Amino acid sequence: MKDLKVDALVVGGGIAGMQAALDLGDQGFQVALVEREPSIGGKMITLSKVFPTLDCCSCITTPKMSAVAHHPNIKLLTYCEVESIQENEKGFAVATVQKPRYVDEATCTGCRLCEYACPITVPSSFDRGLGSYRAIRVPFSTAVPQIAVLDMDNCILCGKCEKACPVDAVVLSQQPEPFTIHATAIILATGFELNELGAKKEYGAAKLPNVIDPLMMERFLSPTGPYGRVLRPGDGMEPTTIAYVQCAGSRDKTLGIEYCSRVCCMYAIKQAMLISGALPMAEITIYYMDIRTFGKGYEQFYQNAKAMGVEFVRGKVASIHEDEKHNPIVKMELTEEGRIIERTHDLVVLSLGMIPAVSSSGFGLVPASDGFISVPAPNASPTVTERPGIFVTGTAGGPMDIVDSIVTAGSAASEASAYIRSKTMIAESQSEVAYA
Amino acid sequence: MATQQATPSRGEILKRLREQHAETFARTQALLKEQKRIEQVICSAIRETAKTVPQIAEEVGMPAPEVLWYVASFKKYGMLVEKGMCGDYPLYQKVEKK
Ligand SMILES: Cc1cc2nc3c(=O)[nH]c(=O)nc-3n(C[C@H](O)[C@H](O)[C@H](O)COP(=O)(O)OP(=O)(O)OC[C@H]3O[C@@H](n4cnc5c(N)ncnc54)[C@H](O)[C@@H]3O)c2cc1C
Ligand code: SF4
Ligand code: SF4
Repeated sequence: MKDLKVDALVVGGGIAGMQAALDLGDQGFQVALVEREPSIGGKMITLSKVFPTLDCCSCITTPKMSAVAHHPNIKLLTYCEVESIQENEKGFAVATVQKPRYVDEATCTGCRLCEYACPITVPSSFDRGLGSYRAIRVPFSTAVPQIAVLDMDNCILCGKCEKACPVDAVVLSQQPEPFTIHATAIILATGFELNELGAKKEYGAAKLPNVIDPLMMERFLSPTGPYGRVLRPGDGMEPTTIAYVQCAGSRDKTLGIEYCSRVCCMYAIKQAMLISGALPMAEITIYYMDIRTFGKGYEQFYQNAKAMGVEFVRGKVASIHEDEKHNPIVKMELTEEGRIIERTHDLVVLSLGMIPAVSSSGFGLVPASDGFISVPAPNASPTVTERPGIFVTGTAGGPMDIVDSIVTAGSAASEASAYIRSKTMIAESQSEVAYA
Repeated sequence: MATQQATPSRGEILKRLREQHAETFARTQALLKEQKRIEQVICSAIRETAKTVPQIAEEVGMPAPEVLWYVASFKKYGMLVEKGMCGDYPLYQKVEKK
């Protein structure tokens, strides 16, 4: 891999990073987009439908992924890790490593014959471990690029994939390849992760098979999900009573997450509505402290869910345990009535808090008090970090929904554009002075 | 694109990689053996009659979440199909290779 020189480097290929790259590319800037996973798409490509419109998520995300891959001004670099960022008089020198796919990117056609030939099955991270794929695979059906990747940690080196490949694309001798990206500006779009399912010990410590995280439910609700329908992972039962526990790891001092994750109320309501569609007989309860429906059309969405029969119960969930059939039992205090109740459900979803996906210090930035990338003037310049030339978009800067991720992508792109132009003008005037 | 080292022969590369990744190789060999065994027991349990996950789990003596993971995987790779419901549980049956 040769070193690259670009106007802007975007780190992270979720919806925020893709949108920022497209906005800059459309303005004529040369952009490199670095994604550490084998495909772009981020969390959004794993979702089923989006609130508040209930549009199919894949239908919105896939065209953007494809636009990024085919944009003449965007160089897409998947399965790459940023190692370090050095600043110099021209901008930034970003040390990057291309991880070995063990598959030749230029030759692979994404036909999946290798995947079908591979004898080893492993849990699929795309389906949050509940589905499976093979040690060599195209990561998911709408992955961009459609190129296989071999997971050496789970390979038995049998060579069956190599034999099955009709175009000899499997290259078991590939090695990591370091290279440098020279960029005038950087946009960080490294996104979020969910807090761990077991973070709050009182909620089952990730040991109860029928207590799941909300991204698992997104996969169950997706037609390409691990079971192709909503089943509980403990025993494959179609659940008839499903509960959501809100703020399960947000607004919780004991976990060090004092902030509100902003999207959990809305995704719980969305999933409740989608489950009502998929399982019309199911009873769905949302246990909450407050419902926060801050966006355009969001309050109406909440009212619609109530009208559809979703039950909203105000209170504080103290603990979750299970009966002998692995049915989760929710113990809670009804705060308005001052009563303690216990209810048994088939399946419980914990609306977990959002946490940063990476540490800011890796980019030479001091994290904000919530751990996300710090923005010194959030009201005046919400996408400008403390380091000149480095900008932030999407959930890398803090919890937000897709609408706000896209809005901040536009903002970060226009801040980066102004910065690149000013740098270029300074460089030009300096060279004119030198020439004179 | 990652670099491709000089590759004398396919067999030699595999041999060298097996040496380099000796620990992984030992672990994945054992994993493959176990996966083959489980595939065989689950598939024979549902060869004649369609069964639910708890029924399979009881018959083969495995935890139900693990059985579901294998069943979902076999379904994805076309080795079994859903055959209706038994109460709240889907039934699964092995597809015979043509
Ligand atoms: C269960 C659930 C349901 C939701 N439903 C909705 C909904 O219906 N509507 C809505 O508006 N919002 C919804 N959201 C919120 C939505 O998912 C986020 O707003 C959105 O995905 C944020 O996008 P992002 O690009 O900021 O982050 P991400 O999607 O996390 O993307 C970040 C990308 O950066 C990559 N990356 C991270 N670190 C590095 C690195 N060091 N180098 C290179 N690449 C890196 C990651 O691999 C990833 O691809 C939901 C959230 C959850 C948890
Ligand atoms: S060499 Fe590895 S990836 Fe290829 S078929 Fe064998 S186990 Fe699968
Ligand atoms: S590596 Fe070969 S067999 Fe596998 S998807 Fe690519 S072209 Fe198809």
